Amino acid sequence: MFGRPLFRWVLRITIVCVVLAVGLWTIWPWLPSQKDRRPRTIVLYGFSILEPVITKGIFPAFQKRWFEQTGQRVELISSFGGSGTVTNQLIMGVPAEVAILSTELDAQRLQKAGVVHGETWKKLPHKGVMNRTPFIIQVRPGNPKRIHDFSGLTQPGVRVVHMDPLTSGAANWAIVAEYGAAVRQPGSGPDAGRAMLLGIWRNVAVQAGSGRAARTQFDSGFGDALITYEQDAIWSRSRGSSRFEIVYPRSTILSEHTVVVIDERVSERQKELVGAFVDFLWSEEAQRIFVRSGFRSVDERLNSLNPQFGHIRDPFFIDDFGGWRKAKLTIIDDTWKNRVVKELKP
Amino acid sequence: MNQGKAFYKKISHMLPAGFLVLVLLPLLLLPLASVFIYALRGGLGNLAAALTTTDVLFALRFSLIIAFATAVINTVLGTYAAWVLSKTRFPGREQLGIILNLPVAIPNVVVGTSLLLLWGPIGLFGQVLEPLGIQPMFTPVGVLLAHVFVTFPYMLGTIKPVLDDLETTYEEAAYTMGASRWQTFLHVLFPALKGGLLTGALLTFAHSLGEFGATVMVSGNLRLRTQTAPLYIFSQFESGNIQAANSVAAVLAILSFALFSLILFLAARTGKKGAQRGK
Repeated sequence: MFGRPLFRWVLRITIVCVVLAVGLWTIWPWLPSQKDRRPRTIVLYGFSILEPVITKGIFPAFQKRWFEQTGQRVELISSFGGSGTVTNQLIMGVPAEVAILSTELDAQRLQKAGVVHGETWKKLPHKGVMNRTPFIIQVRPGNPKRIHDFSGLTQPGVRVVHMDPLTSGAANWAIVAEYGAAVRQPGSGPDAGRAMLLGIWRNVAVQAGSGRAARTQFDSGFGDALITYEQDAIWSRSRGSSRFEIVYPRSTILSEHTVVVIDERVSERQKELVGAFVDFLWSEEAQRIFVRSGFRSVDERLNSLNPQFGHIRDPFFIDDFGGWRKAKLTIIDDTWKNRVVKELKP
Repeated sequence: MNQGKAFYKKISHMLPAGFLVLVLLPLLLLPLASVFIYALRGGLGNLAAALTTTDVLFALRFSLIIAFATAVINTVLGTYAAWVLSKTRFPGREQLGIILNLPVAIPNVVVGTSLLLLWGPIGLFGQVLEPLGIQPMFTPVGVLLAHVFVTFPYMLGTIKPVLDDLETTYEEAAYTMGASRWQTFLHVLFPALKGGLLTGALLTFAHSLGEFGATVMVSGNLRLRTQTAPLYIFSQFESGNIQAANSVAAVLAILSFALFSLILFLAARTGKKGAQRGK
């Protein structure tokens, strides 16, 4: 060591140079010369499967339009997670200006917690519903368990990957889809719905925190069937990352995704920008982007643009069960939580 | 014959090390290797592309800044705490020492929730501060607060043993020669602490760089605002973007490796110096 002072100096100088270079690179965007190039921002919290379409499709399109109209650059500050998780974060006070939730149920929770005052989302186009997607069943290639409808999931030995209703909006949709599919069979009643839920939930092998997390689990080889958004399956297929088949149930629900503007968190200066972004979500340009990435548009005419959409014989909506307020009480709470879950416990 | 013996001796020396490597292979080395394999799966071009997206650049920069700020704050705070615990006598000193070391024992997620429940908009202080327009949670300040909390004991743990070992005679000599407390610290304590300070700061930096549990609670996980590199990795992994996640994971792994090499190198050097001084 002591015989090589030159080597030691070179080593020291190299370390110092590397540290300085990393330091300079780190603070670069915050240097005074870069200040005037800092863009305006919109803070958005969204449910899990929205991430790719918002960050890669919708927002860049809005960015471009806003720049053309005003010459200002705008950047999206965003966070994505299970709809329930996002809602809890909003109640905890995260600085969101816009939230896109997977169910109106979560919007109602925001209202109850005082994050928004009144059902403000109802004043937006289509009562705040931005787009839709039906619930489908995803099975392994060749459908080895022969699952052709929700009833197929009740067979013994089928391992179902389901989302967790506590944190995931998709899970709530899925429960209503399962219940509804049974109830809507000709000549059946509420008991059929309960029996269906019991049969499926007996086979639930794993509960994931969000729609996206459930997909990741299924893709990594776990389970025989996954109940999820059609969009998620189409998107996943387009990336070619997993091999699976989509099973369209005879009857299934179309989930409707709700946009909520958190008025209290939108400053006076931001009102115009946030308003423009929210309006943009229902523009034809944005709706076309949604359709291209697998969501069904609220504008029925656009839905023929995506040939990957499957046919559903008997689609239904949450309004068929009297809206989320009623469905939450009768289906989620009374039937699923108070009866099915209790019966499952040994 | 002799040669054979030597060979046998050589092998028997290598055996324990070989066994250690064998045990560590699936535990430590292979998982690390797979990070790099997945990061490089799409080729170097893809790796470069994955590393230069706005999100990644921000997350890496943000992590480095927070880690640096945390290291600076805890170098000052930790050294002061070590000095108080080591050189002053007061009732409850031992208990205070235990409390100051608690962050190592508390799960980081709990640190995060406790900060939220104190400073968050619905928290004890937060409720009072919110109307004043002060809201540290879900901002970079909140992240910094969490990191300072979580990494506090590392500086303390590095400095306190050095101070404990340092004989008070040096300080007393300084005092008798009329030096003030500050002069004593600067000329007597600081030179002895130099190595420890650097090691402690790097240790704090490295831990802050990788912090996840507390950050995920207090940051709101906002991309381009509060998303640190580990949060980015988690979000991308959960969304199934395994390559994007692993690209950043590989960068963090390399950074940590460099940091810990430096720490070990420094620790070895200061250890040697200490031994020399002891003689």
